[in-house]
Amino acid sequence: MSSGCDHAVEYIYQYLDEEISFLKKTRIRMHLRHCSHCTDAFQFEAKLKDVIRERGATEPPPELFDTLRALIEEEREKDESGM
Amino acid sequence: MQYAPQLYSAALRMTRNPADAEDVVQETFLKAYRAYDSYAEGTNLKAWLYRILTNTYINNYRKQQRRPSEVELGELQDLYLYKRLGESSGATQSAEADMLDAFVDTDIIDALESLPETFRMPVVYADVEGLSYKEIAEALDVPIGTVMSRLHRGRKALQKKLWELAEEHGITGNANE
Repeated sequence: MSSGCDHAVEYIYQYLDEEISFLKKTRIRMHLRHCSHCTDAFQFEAKLKDVIRERGATEPPPELFDTLRALIEEEREKDESGM
Repeated sequence: MQYAPQLYSAALRMTRNPADAEDVVQETFLKAYRAYDSYAEGTNLKAWLYRILTNTYINNYRKQQRRPSEVELGELQDLYLYKRLGESSGATQSAEADMLDAFVDTDIIDALESLPETFRMPVVYADVEGLSYKEIAEALDVPIGTVMSRLHRGRKALQKKLWELAEEHGITGNANE
């Protein structure tokens, strides 16, 4: 573990979330270029992020859209009739 | 209507119950429609909708108050899951990443839903919904620094839960069966 590794691991989420300053991002990129340990860890965390995104969501039942449309339509009619 | 699927997913991860999740989304859309005058043009519509969703959930659907204890997660190592999987597999390079394929949808959902609410919200909003830190801060009405620290702790807790599931299912290299 070098100080470059410490820095990379400290900011790994900000890096993967693309919420990092240009300076830190550049420093991490340069570090990853010659550190296979950190590159491996970064690839793992990036894949985990993808896995959570893909498998952590649930599709709504198709009727939900009809219900929402009907709900808003009803509100609109109330507005128009001045209620 | 364009955000309905994402809002439903977020509501379901929070309520853990499809009927409640549908109700939360319906209320959110109704409130958004009624409050549209107060929505400031040019501000972030997505963050505004998530804020209404968050408040609807907190006010009407939260089951019991869970004390949002910052200590209840304990201290966890950085790269928790990566290190555990590495130790268990005797780690040939990148074996850990391949092991992630063994997690099915229900593993990820169980792990997310196991998180205490304080941490579940930012983790779901960031990792499932893809919101930016700034959007999460607006949705939860907390400073960005708070979002970042809760995300950090929440993700570690998520990794710990995933490791437990990996052990239970025998998808670690330990072959304990």
